[in-house]
Amino acid sequence: MKIPVEEALRYMRVPKSDEATRQLAEETAALLEKQLHPRFLWRAFPIRRDGEGILPDGAGFRLAGNLAEKMLADCDTAVLLVCTLGAGFDRMLKEWEARDMAKAAVMDFCGSAWVESVCDEAEAEIRSRFPGKFCTDRFSPGYGDLPLNLQADFLRVLDAGRKLGITANESFLLLPCKSVTAVIGLSDWPQGAKIRGCAYCAMREECAYRKDGKFCGD
Amino acid sequence: MLLDGAMGTMLQKAGMKPGTIPETLNITDPEMVAAIHRAYIRSGSRAVYANTFGANSLKLKNTEYTTAELIEAGVRIAKDCAAETGALAGLDVGPLGVMLEPLGTLPFEEAVDLYKEIMTAGAKAGADMIAIETMSDLAETRAALIAAKEATDLPVFVTMSFDATGRTFTGCTPASMARTLEGLGADAVGVNCSLGPEEMVPIVREIRANTRLPVIAKPNAGLPDPVTGAYGVSAEDFAGAMKALAEAGAEILGGCCGTDPEYIAALGKAMQEMTFNISKPGTSEFTGAVCTGPKCLTTDRIRVIGERINPTGKKRLQQALLEDDTDYLVEMAIRQADAGADLLDINVGYPGVDEVTMLPRVVQAVQAAVDLPLQIDTTNPVALEAALRVYQGKAAVNSVNGKEESLRTVLPLVRKYGAAVVGLTLDENGIPDTAEKRVAIARRILERAVAAGIPKEDVWIDCLTLTVSAQQEQAMETLKAVRTVREDLGLNTVLGVSNISFGLPNRMLVTQAFLTCALEAGLTLPIINPNQKEIMDVIAARRVLCGEDEGCRAYVERFAEEAPAEKSPAAAVASGMTLGQAIRRGLRNESGKLTRDALQTRSEMELVEKELIPALEETGEKYEQGKVFLPQLLSAAQAAQAAFEEIRGSLLKKGEQGEDRGTVMMATVQGDIHDIGKNIVITVLENYGYRVRDLGKDVPPETIVKETVEKKIRLVGLSALMTTTLPAMAETVRRLKELPDPPQVMVGGAVVTADYAKSIGADFYARDVRDAVKITGQVFGSNG
Repeated sequence: MKIPVEEALRYMRVPKSDEATRQLAEETAALLEKQLHPRFLWRAFPIRRDGEGILPDGAGFRLAGNLAEKMLADCDTAVLLVCTLGAGFDRMLKEWEARDMAKAAVMDFCGSAWVESVCDEAEAEIRSRFPGKFCTDRFSPGYGDLPLNLQADFLRVLDAGRKLGITANESFLLLPCKSVTAVIGLSDWPQGAKIRGCAYCAMREECAYRKDGKFCGD
Repeated sequence: MLLDGAMGTMLQKAGMKPGTIPETLNITDPEMVAAIHRAYIRSGSRAVYANTFGANSLKLKNTEYTTAELIEAGVRIAKDCAAETGALAGLDVGPLGVMLEPLGTLPFEEAVDLYKEIMTAGAKAGADMIAIETMSDLAETRAALIAAKEATDLPVFVTMSFDATGRTFTGCTPASMARTLEGLGADAVGVNCSLGPEEMVPIVREIRANTRLPVIAKPNAGLPDPVTGAYGVSAEDFAGAMKALAEAGAEILGGCCGTDPEYIAALGKAMQEMTFNISKPGTSEFTGAVCTGPKCLTTDRIRVIGERINPTGKKRLQQALLEDDTDYLVEMAIRQADAGADLLDINVGYPGVDEVTMLPRVVQAVQAAVDLPLQIDTTNPVALEAALRVYQGKAAVNSVNGKEESLRTVLPLVRKYGAAVVGLTLDENGIPDTAEKRVAIARRILERAVAAGIPKEDVWIDCLTLTVSAQQEQAMETLKAVRTVREDLGLNTVLGVSNISFGLPNRMLVTQAFLTCALEAGLTLPIINPNQKEIMDVIAARRVLCGEDEGCRAYVERFAEEAPAEKSPAAAVASGMTLGQAIRRGLRNESGKLTRDALQTRSEMELVEKELIPALEETGEKYEQGKVFLPQLLSAAQAAQAAFEEIRGSLLKKGEQGEDRGTVMMATVQGDIHDIGKNIVITVLENYGYRVRDLGKDVPPETIVKETVEKKIRLVGLSALMTTTLPAMAETVRRLKELPDPPQVMVGGAVVTADYAKSIGADFYARDVRDAVKITGQVFGSNG
């Protein structure tokens, strides 16, 4: 699986013209690709609704809040997904923090870009398993009002500790550090509700892009 | 021996409700659990694992039951069912569900305590054995096994989960697992979960090659389908595929996720026809090894032990130890690893350094960044045990000697933690002056080690190098002793080589010659400075001559690579580059070299004020203006660090400490584990000449307050990444501000804003690393 270096540079807010950083990023990406094997895991749950919200049937918890309500309004299935670069990334990052902090910083951005592209790959696999279905945008605990504490429930129901070695701490942060949990809704018709946009984002008040008048999806 | 199959899969089939914690069924629905055990026993299982896999006090925090209650209930159910056929009832133990230090934040001893609670309850309820399974982290696996051995006398089976790459999720190899766990006293080791039987074959083969213990294999029934949840391999195919695992060396078989009593019955039937490639405990000749999780290093060839982490005669290292600066030691470790060391000796013994706390800390810090096996070098048995406990893998111990006291205290620790040990050929009468007498001591050490339960291949002998200019005839005695130990006793040999040439001109030549002779005499584990190219050249040449370097490949590569790398700093210097330019361009080697040269004619202070700080300032300004970016800013900082190291070394030589620009204390707040942002700030601050005390990540407010008071800190920097950890930041600031003489506090991190900083009473908000430098300069009243 390839690391989208352009995306990593964009996260770094380095302009395309900066050849030195691009070279460093490409070098770092190659190093990561050689040593790591990103993984993902997903499971599809029929959606049940009770008075209080959306229940992935058999998961044993609710996707609470307005965001899930809106995103999954037309959906009959919710796919729960986890992706990770694995603990090898954390280890390499520690090593490079001691070796060369400049490269470690670049590595951190490459890792963030990579885990997102692993999610894209998982999404492509999900699409291919449900021909004729339409997917919602991917969204994650911590977006909008979807509670961050669902991270722990996602890990439990997907058995992600056992299968991918992912854990959540008491603040619901995932370890290994480049790990992502997400929901994708499946419907019989195209989905209008979009997740991409600052209005839904829990980071909107603090976002470095917004502070600069920019948008992370640019 | 036939084990059982999945418990979780069966509980789901039996109607366990989603979201139920399976272990609570031991009390709420014991019959559901018992029915599963009985079905497995009817299928022929000779051992059933109790429904206790996830029962630990972290996972059960929010239930109404205690760990002991659920474990005792679970074991009793299994025991009652097993009694009918005389099968064994195993206490089943899984991962705690949180990560241990250094990847996570759970301290090793806390993990041991959590596991002891489990083991004690299981033993009390009458378990016949303990099965530690589905482990991924070698550190956690060690914690569980140490707990089992310390809290009970029960036999322990240990299995880890490997994926298709042949590693666990945390990067542990099957060989490292086998070496480490056999050393710690496991009774059988192997693999479970994650893979189907066919994919498990190479893993079982590797485990078999690295242990004398019986090997366990409990594969899944293939992989589950994400839509239907069904597993891919049928009972018949599963049983058929297990034949290859028996041939690969597994002799204790069972099933994991997706298997049920039908699979176990089919497997039991198939086992009658299988050919087992079984172990012969305790009898076979064995290749020795030491390891870390990711790297297993057999001792059947020359292995270089890096000697640099030893404070004797090294002022800068002594200072780092006195200041708790483990980063400096980690850098030394990385440099030796890059220079070609295979193992690293770790010695932190120095007046004023508490080895008992420092040695394990350094071992953990080095292991977080470097995957080489370590040789723990201390004369303090308490420090030795502390370090062996936290060491992830199979370590080497430097050293035991022929003195009764040493044999009595060191060997039991080596045995308990499954390490290899260096035996020094000296005793109560000192170092014998003949080879024969040294070999006699070696023999005695070997006998005592074997009697203590340490396998022969784990005993390495150091025949001791003496300085040739002082005791000339001893050089040949040492070589003779090395030859005899190698040939007659068949042991690996260790020698600290460089002592030989002390006091002579052109030392390197004598050291090289001695090393060449020693390798020919049978030295396998030279302790040397791998950063000295000329010494490593001898090793490279020897590896060619003795055939270890097949096709001379490594040798050719070594000399093909070296030429240009060596030229560049000199070339840069020749081209008239200034120190300031080297820093701006982020050239570390050049910056160090130019500083060394400049110190011949200019003062340390002048270099800092006229070259370093202006170059850093200029880079910082360009960063603010968006003309250079974070990587360049950090490269410049690191080039400046190389210059600072030279300046610091020069001052230390003169017995001066250098200007103290002030100490900043930095921490990532409690609950938060993402600390690269904080570490970036530290790198840059240090290169402005500030001292930084780094408390790490997930740091409780009370620790920060305590350290602030104890170290009289005037500026505290706090970082937080997630909204969920902001309350911990607020709490920390609140407590710091309650102090009678509160420090200034700066805060930063992805989710922190200027308004938030103000609202929690922080003095400063650092938007980025550049801000942090400015704030620090403001607080300590200097430029920057």
